Amino acid sequence: MAEQKQTQVVVLGSGPGGYTAAFRAADLGKKVILVERFSNIGGVCLNVGCIPSKALLHVAKVIDEADALSQHGVKFGKPQIDPKRLVSWKDGVVKRLTGGLAALAKQRKVEIMTGEGQFIDDHHLKVTTDKGDVTIEFEHAIIAAGSEAVRLPFIPEDPRIFTSTGALQLPNTQCNMLVIGGGIIGLEMANVYHSLGAKITIVEFMNQLMPGADVDIVKPLHKRVEKRYQNIWLETKVTAVEAKKDGLYVTFEGKNAPTKPQKFDQILLSVGRSPNGHRIGADKAGVQVDERGFIAVDHQLRTNVDHIFAVGDIVGQPMLAHKSIPQGKIAAEVIAGMKHYFEPRAIASVAYTDPEVAWVGLTETQAKAENIPYEKGVFPWAASGRALSNGREEGITKLLFDPTTQRVLGAGIIGTQAGDLIAEVALAIEMGCDAQDIALTIHPHPTLAETVAQAAEAFEGTITDLYLPKKKKSDKQRAA
Amino acid sequence: MSSQIEIKVPDLGGASEVDVIEVMVASGDRIAKDDSLITLESDKASMDIPAPQEGVVTQVKLKEGDKASQGDVILLLEALPSAEATKQSQQQTTKTETTSADANQTTEQTIVVPDIGGATDVDVIEVMVTPGDQITKDDSLITLESDKASMDVPSPYSGTMKSVVLKVGAKVSQGDAIAVIEITDAAANQAAPIQPPETVSSETATKSSTPAATPSSPTQQQTASSNEIYAGPAVRRMAREFDLDLTQIIGTGPKGRIQTQDVQHFVKQRMQAGRGVGLSVPTPPVVDFSQFGEVTSQPLTKIKRLTGENVHRNWLTIPHVTQFDQADITELEAFRQANKHHAEQQGFKLTPLAFIMKVVVKALQTFPQFNASLDPSGQQLIYKKYFHLGVAVETPNGLVVPVIRDVDGKGVLALAQELASISQKAREKRLMPNEMTGSCMSISSLGGIGGTAFTPIINGTDVAILGISRASTQPVWQHDQFIPRLMLPLSLSYDHRVIDGAEAARFTQYLADCLGDIRHLVL
Ligand SMILES: Cc1cc2nc3c(=O)[nH]c(=O)nc-3n(C[C@H](O)[C@H](O)[C@H](O)COP(=O)(O)OP(=O)(O)OC[C@H]3O[C@@H](n4cnc5c(N)ncnc54)[C@H](O)[C@@H]3O)c2cc1C
Repeated sequence: MAEQKQTQVVVLGSGPGGYTAAFRAADLGKKVILVERFSNIGGVCLNVGCIPSKALLHVAKVIDEADALSQHGVKFGKPQIDPKRLVSWKDGVVKRLTGGLAALAKQRKVEIMTGEGQFIDDHHLKVTTDKGDVTIEFEHAIIAAGSEAVRLPFIPEDPRIFTSTGALQLPNTQCNMLVIGGGIIGLEMANVYHSLGAKITIVEFMNQLMPGADVDIVKPLHKRVEKRYQNIWLETKVTAVEAKKDGLYVTFEGKNAPTKPQKFDQILLSVGRSPNGHRIGADKAGVQVDERGFIAVDHQLRTNVDHIFAVGDIVGQPMLAHKSIPQGKIAAEVIAGMKHYFEPRAIASVAYTDPEVAWVGLTETQAKAENIPYEKGVFPWAASGRALSNGREEGITKLLFDPTTQRVLGAGIIGTQAGDLIAEVALAIEMGCDAQDIALTIHPHPTLAETVAQAAEAFEGTITDLYLPKKKKSDKQRAA
Repeated sequence: MSSQIEIKVPDLGGASEVDVIEVMVASGDRIAKDDSLITLESDKASMDIPAPQEGVVTQVKLKEGDKASQGDVILLLEALPSAEATKQSQQQTTKTETTSADANQTTEQTIVVPDIGGATDVDVIEVMVTPGDQITKDDSLITLESDKASMDVPSPYSGTMKSVVLKVGAKVSQGDAIAVIEITDAAANQAAPIQPPETVSSETATKSSTPAATPSSPTQQQTASSNEIYAGPAVRRMAREFDLDLTQIIGTGPKGRIQTQDVQHFVKQRMQAGRGVGLSVPTPPVVDFSQFGEVTSQPLTKIKRLTGENVHRNWLTIPHVTQFDQADITELEAFRQANKHHAEQQGFKLTPLAFIMKVVVKALQTFPQFNASLDPSGQQLIYKKYFHLGVAVETPNGLVVPVIRDVDGKGVLALAQELASISQKAREKRLMPNEMTGSCMSISSLGGIGGTAFTPIINGTDVAILGISRASTQPVWQHDQFIPRLMLPLSLSYDHRVIDGAEAARFTQYLADCLGDIRHLVL
């Protein structure tokens, strides 16, 4: 017979959604068990996602910046790269964070159980641990089982073909690599591999890199990588991969497809992530999971079963750690009886490529598709003293406004640190700031953050750092 | 010059013994007008008590954990003569123009529209005074109506109406002249400042005595989708916690942003007004019944609790009216008796309810406003093109209301059969949730038990419910004699926001006619 345990709250999955939910529930006085199939907690984000990828991107950036300085009179030698040490440094960063999480769990008396969890009914979860099965009887459950990389059926199993998880181990950085999928994850990994010495080809099915972001915001990135990478094939897809001893032969189809199969040493598959909804016995608990594996929840993160909640990647897009975390918090709070709701007005997306690309709230693409009226204010970084000092003037800060209320509806920013800059606009959207609120907030000079205020000024027609011949009529009225 | 004043707990809308959860000042503090002094918390809401004037605190009388009621001394304040304060009191009295300097005899005062919560261009829908009228202070002068509420503006003075400036249909804002009054007894009027009608803007303001005034202030136009509401996340969360509709709250922040204080203020107003959002529903007293004799207790079944929630919500939120009538079902009953063997052969009963359902659907087709629901905003009526009827079924666990779909397309026998099977299913607890949703109207039949009439509560989001009591043979005056007829009592409860009394009377009459002669069904 399986060992029996009882708890008030069981959390399935220890990613950002899961550990946050577990910790918050414990802080609110609940007895909590956190179930994770891997021995390290932290989920995708800490182990094979946000953190290790950013560690490698940091290295890539320093290499590129050092290289760029050679044009300004400072020359370093060619970098000597030791991938083994690099990986172990990166793993060290991850270990510190996951170890820190384990300590936080301990301080809160959150029990961590290592093993695969499956629901057996709506009040019991069976966990298969290496010491045998354990049945947990729970009052409330929070499903935070996350997502995993999508694999394409026609692509063979081969050690030279991997998803982001494999790529983070840096198996071979001196090679000719194909990146299938030009979304955020693919472009970040391409960035790392290129800086470490690989030759990169990107193939993307859609007509732009990073679908979802506005084209004008992605363009400077496209321009930069176009020069550095071997090929960027848009509106093209892979139809076959043949693994041979001397390489991987890939057949393409579409607008920019080469006629003959091309040979690569390595392939990164980054065509999206699919939720783990079908792998947790949800049906036994009566929790509805859709075909793709997503679990629908209400604004309090409740599934169709009243006492079972779900958070993070498994509940839908956007699949981002900074969405999972507040959801985990709110699910725990609702379980503890608080009347909280997950109702953000905007969630930012960030690609930590070089340059970074970030957007939040309304995009122009979306506004056009949904016929939402908007006006915009754009500030090109070529007019930013700080961007020029950094030697990186390709950035753009663009804000979208409601033409009647002048409230900010969204933003797209490209440039170094764009991911940090976007947070201000997220706050502005939540607070309902209008163009003046942003323009009149004094931003320190010279910073990249200034560009946000300058974009608002460009919209208002009060900007002096640019000369915009067409002044806005509201301003004339005001002056009259 | 300085003097000691006692700052007391203001009117808490009748709440007493409220917990003091925070004291924000200490003796020696210099405080400004409107600084928060203490936070009180009842089981419904918490609120800050602001300082009515500036000064230096000399002694704090309340501490955290105390219980406070209206009139309790919060602290002693050494008042400072303040320019601000004098200016304010001046403003209050000079809001009205004095056209005659002689205060001892008669004075003419122009009465203006008071603070109406920032609303502008509000319609004047009624003018209740004419020149020459004798007015007593607080008599209603005019009625204003915004899109949110209507309210009477009371007279701040007693006297004789000299002239009335406003006409019905005018659009007014704060400060616009309403009328000129000749004050006969100046002394009695002197200290009467204009009081905003029920828009409680100062903490100590008491309720206006104008009975016709509505408690909700005519708020500005913060309608539209919630995304357009000008409030940050913390305020939105707070509104969720109090179940408030932010479109109802006036923002006092820059550009009208709704701030936490606005939400607190709103909650407090509601508490004082003693109505709305169920904040002031009195709780039943706790009684120890065992002192009267032996008792046991048992939890309500889940169905009872859920039904309880639903009927309670509808009872509180829907203005119900019940229309009673009787249908002569002598003929119908004879027809049913003559045909019931058709059903019995197939193993079910041909009940009167199956006929009633058919008749109700016919009535719904004739009176489409009964086949409707009010959308949550209360602004739109959603008409339904389908005819599903809920039928209340008693089960050992409690009341359930399974829904029979597309009654318009089914014959009486088919309905009788479906009724039998769904009631059976209900009693066996095999009903699926989707078999209990989607009703257009419901029928609750107590005919099998007894009674002459009752007042059913509307089910779900319907706008009406039909109650059936026991049919009985009664003497009915026909031509020139009493003849025995089988009469069926009908009780139709309806949502008065959607349906007028006359419509309900016609609907019920129609039901009675059709039941009296079911040939109507084929007309
Ligand atoms: C390469 C990469 C880079 C990324 N970079 C960023 C970034 O920069 N910023 C950002 O916001 N997001 C980033 N993401 C996305 C981010 O990692 C996810 O959105 C986030 O991890 C989702 O958190 P979660 O809690 O929903 O689930 P996950 O982190 O996916 O965690 C789910 C956990 O549940 C466990 N689990 C699943 N099923 C079971 C089971 N049956 N029993 C026991 N345990 C189970 C899994 O092992 C896993 O540990 C990145 C993702 C990748 C792949």
